[in-house]
Amino acid sequence: MPIAVVGVSHHTAPVEVRERMAFSDSDAARALMTLRSRTGIEEAVLLSTCNRTEVYLYPVLGPECMQAVQSLFAEKAVGLERSAEEYLFHREGESVVRHLFGVSAGLDSMVTGEAEIQGQVREAYHRSAGTGEEPALTGPVLNRLFQTALAVGGQIRAETSINEGTASVASVAVELARKIFGQLREKRILILGAGATAELMVEALAREGVRGVLVANRTYSRAEDLAERLEGRAIPIERLTDGLPQADIILASTAAPHPVLTGQRFREAFPNGRHRPLLIIDIAIPRDVEPGVGDADGVFLYNVDDLRKIVDEHVELRSEAIPAANRIIDDRWREFRSWYASREVVPVIRRMREQAEVHRAAELERLFGSLDTLDPEERGRVEEFSRRLLNKLLHDPTVRLRKGMARGGGAELVDAVRFLYGIEDRQSSPPHTEPERADREPRRQGERAPRPTRNPQHGVVE
Amino acid sequence: MIHLLAFLLYVGAFSLWIHFLVKGSRGEGPTFASAIAGAAVVVHAIALGDYWIRYGELPLVGPGAALSSLAFVGGLALLATIPLREAARVGIALLPFITICLGIAMILGIEPSPLTVDFQGVGFVLHVTFAFFGYQGLALAFAAGILYLIQHHELKSKRLGRFFRFIPPLATLDLLGRVGVWAGFAMLSLALGLGWAWTTANRGSLEVGDPKVIWALLSWFIFVAIIVARRGSGRTDYRGAMAAVIGFAVVICSYLALRLTVGGAGLFL
Repeated sequence: MPIAVVGVSHHTAPVEVRERMAFSDSDAARALMTLRSRTGIEEAVLLSTCNRTEVYLYPVLGPECMQAVQSLFAEKAVGLERSAEEYLFHREGESVVRHLFGVSAGLDSMVTGEAEIQGQVREAYHRSAGTGEEPALTGPVLNRLFQTALAVGGQIRAETSINEGTASVASVAVELARKIFGQLREKRILILGAGATAELMVEALAREGVRGVLVANRTYSRAEDLAERLEGRAIPIERLTDGLPQADIILASTAAPHPVLTGQRFREAFPNGRHRPLLIIDIAIPRDVEPGVGDADGVFLYNVDDLRKIVDEHVELRSEAIPAANRIIDDRWREFRSWYASREVVPVIRRMREQAEVHRAAELERLFGSLDTLDPEERGRVEEFSRRLLNKLLHDPTVRLRKGMARGGGAELVDAVRFLYGIEDRQSSPPHTEPERADREPRRQGERAPRPTRNPQHGVVE
Repeated sequence: MIHLLAFLLYVGAFSLWIHFLVKGSRGEGPTFASAIAGAAVVVHAIALGDYWIRYGELPLVGPGAALSSLAFVGGLALLATIPLREAARVGIALLPFITICLGIAMILGIEPSPLTVDFQGVGFVLHVTFAFFGYQGLALAFAAGILYLIQHHELKSKRLGRFFRFIPPLATLDLLGRVGVWAGFAMLSLALGLGWAWTTANRGSLEVGDPKVIWALLSWFIFVAIIVARRGSGRTDYRGAMAAVIGFAVVICSYLALRLTVGGAGLFL
């Protein structure tokens, strides 16, 4: 299975590195288009969250593909003390499938079982699948892979206790707030950025009684929209200094490329120091709050990496569900593998049947040439007999071939069928197994049929 | 014997809190620890009642009896925290003081003092009781303060381990500290006022050379210092916690110093 994933995650790189290697939506699309134009890669999805930046690729036909991907990260890593490669992980083959299933289910998250990653995987997939106006960057394999991954994530959350307890970024923020303020009633919250994650966190805090929401965003209209939804008040980002003294909790999640809350701005807001505790949750990548702000008296500043320290207990609670989640992943991984294998066997079966049909037609023609006394009804019966005989003869080999592929040892079988039936190794048409996309919409511009090519370097190369 | 049972229950409650600190505190465990502490206070009250019945006087005079009563007041302060969410966990810092007081009392012997006390009657009972509440208020402020400082350190250093999970919220600890200091200050002021009134009425002037008076006045000024630390600008909660911890340490050290130097074998606690 010539599929690969390359990237950085919270397992391999600290936040300072991950924030450098993050891709905005437009960056991601541009990078993937560049990648496709430089290599033989036909399908690609880039998943960029605060905990990971991962590029999924298909097909990966040689080392030059991997080098091209690594160069994408290397461009982002300019200025780092160590080279990008030292932070990258790299998987190839079937382990990529298991990896993505685990990512989607939240098993690979900093907070095990967290729900946000499911939406982030969906967004990344939809971005690559195209909007209709832009060419799609996915094809049958990554479409199937990501759709299955999203289904796996949903199934695991529904059937196991992986998402029980308070182990999401939002609930961790609530726990921190509780440990500082005790009761959260009447506490005021300031949101920097109008993103969905911030909204989720505010909703979680509002359930605990937090009131008085202020929203500051570079685009004022978006701040107003979010403030209206949260029954709060919008302020222009330029007036952030006025809003700071009113806040007990600050949630920062803007997409700004530089810190929004600097030490200087903080000192301007609190010229005589802060009198009450202030909790700052900075989940933005790159960070929105300068680290020095956290040194101020009464300020408790947490970025995404700091949250890792809180999750240990939650991981322990949720770890009991991991075996069950892995069983689901195993099942769905086998299904995916069967589907993928079927992509190879279907063209072979089709060629086998086409070839048999040619022989049948030729033999019938010869027969009818020597039996010119047959009336049309009799000719029809003979033709029907030949068709049924052919189907009977091909039925068992077809079924056994499919079953053999489903068991995972079908490559040799396919080769044997090719040899026995004299089928050339060519696939002029795409396989029929593209159910989700093929049923709903035509192939988009830029999509090409996959050419399954075996890569000798299967397995984890991490 | 009843005192021993109360002592064991206090130790048991403290051990449970330590267990929950180390192993985590889920479910009904903390409630059980609070119940054990409550049972200890009830048994302690029975022990003091037994003393009253047996000797015909309240256990306020003599080091053993006075220390036991002081420990009992600490137990009452702990019980008062139970309605506040997670606040009873302050017991992990308060119970050692209570247990040590009771332990020393049992070693010294919980029995009436052979010495005669001039100051008697309701005024004396109120004087000593107010003083005990005053000192236990300071002990409560100390316990809340030390936990506040640990929790603050956990939050600042982002370690967020066992202590973070176990220790109550900063706001709760600050509230306990404030209540402890203000209640303690009020009680000690009343105790000093009653003592001053009796002394000036019966002996003409306040005996400032008496170690009891020195210690009481020092304690009162420490209360004032803690209250001052809690006022003004900046992080008053943090300063208040720090001041309570230092203040309590100074009060204990000064007691020991006075007891060992000029206290002698008198009725100084």
